[in-house]
Amino acid sequence: MKIAISGKGGSGKTTLSATLARLLSRQGSSVLAIDGDPNPNLGVALGISALGLSGLQPLPRSIIEQRPDADGVNQTFLTQPMKTISSQYGVAAPDDITLLLTTRVDHAGKG
Amino acid sequence: MLEKLIEQTNQHTILDMEASIEHLTRGTIRHVDQLLVVTEPYYRSLETAGRTVPLAYELGIKQVHVVANKVRSPQDEEAIRRYCAERNFEIIGVLPYDNEVLEADQAGLPLLDRKPDSNYVKEVSKLMDRILGVHQNENENQKQTA
Repeated sequence: MKIAISGKGGSGKTTLSATLARLLSRQGSSVLAIDGDPNPNLGVALGISALGLSGLQPLPRSIIEQRPDADGVNQTFLTQPMKTISSQYGVAAPDDITLLLTTRVDHAGKG
Repeated sequence: MLEKLIEQTNQHTILDMEASIEHLTRGTIRHVDQLLVVTEPYYRSLETAGRTVPLAYELGIKQVHVVANKVRSPQDEEAIRRYCAERNFEIIGVLPYDNEVLEADQAGLPLLDRKPDSNYVKEVSKLMDRILGVHQNENENQKQTA
């Protein structure tokens, strides 16, 4: 089950994302949380400590590559299995959640 | 990148997105099962939802639902219900305006840890049950058509 959550800034989408992720995880299957907001706050909302958050880095471009598939059509591939990406770049949140960050924070003030 | 991550993970996934989905392509979002569009009961927030929902269907997302948030009164709820009814948008949850949300935010702690019995958490829990119901139905439909 893969759910995306959108909404105007300040609408409460991050609080909803975090609460939903943690309640869902408590149902018995661990949840992957992805922060795709250029102003990332999901980590705090999930309850990750300041120390944990200091280790949260945006995923580098090097986890994907473009190469031709079997039919010679250029496709995007992950260069590492998801498990490796999660353990290398993910930060653990309460209730067995792993948080990944896809966007960079270097556009501070934008949006 | 986002597309591959969502495609390749076998975990339940919650994606907190940018405010606008206007820059998204069919590719980026094609492995998403459901989009929740969060809206507050005032005009500009509703207008954002009003643009997002049709766009999400255009992008090929099968399940698109509105979540009414920060609802303070029956009038608030009615405003969102009327707006959605006029456009055939489906509302999957109505979440109350809850001071506890703001207080938890200011304390930098999840509401779920601070006030697990707050109205907001209770309503999100009900919302989750409805989401699970939607996906169960979807899976059964897929089995039947397979």
